[in-house]
Amino acid sequence: MNELKLEYLKLKKKTRSWLGPILVFWLIMLAFPLTVEFMQDKLEIGFFSVLWIAILISMMLATEDIFIEDYNDGSLEQTIIKNTSFQFLISIRIIVYWLMIGVPISILSFIFSLGTSEDLLLSISVIPLSIISSYIFLNLFALGSALSLNKGSLLGALITMPLALPVLIVLGKSIIAFQLGINYLEFILLLLGCLSIIIIAVPIIVSFIIKAHLE
Amino acid sequence: MDNITSVIAENISYKVNDNKLFHNLSFSLNTGESLHIKGPNGSGKSTLLRIILGITNPTKGSISINSTKDKCYLGHKNALKNYLSLDDNILLMEFDNHPCLKKYIEILDLKRYLDVNVANLSYGQQKKLGLLRLFLNSSDLIILDEPFVGLDKETQIILTDFLTDQLKENKTLIYTSHIECDIDSKTLLLK
Repeated sequence: MNELKLEYLKLKKKTRSWLGPILVFWLIMLAFPLTVEFMQDKLEIGFFSVLWIAILISMMLATEDIFIEDYNDGSLEQTIIKNTSFQFLISIRIIVYWLMIGVPISILSFIFSLGTSEDLLLSISVIPLSIISSYIFLNLFALGSALSLNKGSLLGALITMPLALPVLIVLGKSIIAFQLGINYLEFILLLLGCLSIIIIAVPIIVSFIIKAHLE
Repeated sequence: MDNITSVIAENISYKVNDNKLFHNLSFSLNTGESLHIKGPNGSGKSTLLRIILGITNPTKGSISINSTKDKCYLGHKNALKNYLSLDDNILLMEFDNHPCLKKYIEILDLKRYLDVNVANLSYGQQKKLGLLRLFLNSSDLIILDEPFVGLDKETQIILTDFLTDQLKENKTLIYTSHIECDIDSKTLLLK
């Protein structure tokens, strides 16, 4: 619990790091209706595509400096020489990022979805999808950020972007499935299955990558 | 208290690409002993410390450390968060409830800066804050990379006295320093 509290303290004080991605998401979702006609049916076309891509981009921005600051100021070295599990600390950091950025964005997703579709059930169905997908994206981009630790965050994002594409496909299919009344839960379970693997694998891989960078 | 072997290094070698930084280094240290690693810039002093810490793997050889506690390490970087106040940084170091915290805050003359962001402190003051990690440590093995750099004469004396006391408490000290200090140490010279 103490680690969770300390990670929260660090992120809370870095306003740009947590508020920036939320504002970018908010701006994309606000700007989207301006580019199409203000008619219900026109707005609904493409809304969910924009929503998932906005979540993807926000998560990419959120992980931009997830490890680089600790790498530069020597905190990573201090963490590695401790007897505490490094993988555990990475998991905690990703959870805190998700709670501070992913969850608010999921709530905003619901609000924007309701405002656009005026369909409460459909908007409610967006919540679990955005909550799970934001967590998956955070893990994937954290992996990218670790890979390109001293080479700029854009490279890492480009490397890990292909891993996020299947998730985007599943997200798109989930909404269609919900609208048609078929297999929505199966898609949620599929995403949860992916997440359960990623939650375990990513911190382990990231810890090895960071140790290799420090060497 | 009996002295027991704390650190044993056997035939440590390290090379970067094909350049040998050092070759077949061996030494052992008992508890209560100190090792001063000396050598010119680029001779591999910091690398050797990182090998002892387990951050870097040696090309050849092995290190064994007889302690289960966390190691205390101060490197060139102070591991401080610039955007946080001194108070918050102390919280991050998990020393906020340490019984000796107030004492060392007073000794290092940091009390009036507790609410100040680290970014607004001078290098020396940041270094002093970093020293709290050393002064409040509960480790058996202390590893320091140029600990005297950036410190005024008064703080250098405080640090030297502290390290001498730590050795009396049977802790093991390994350090590099270009600044001469009055600590009774073995010397390892890297060329």
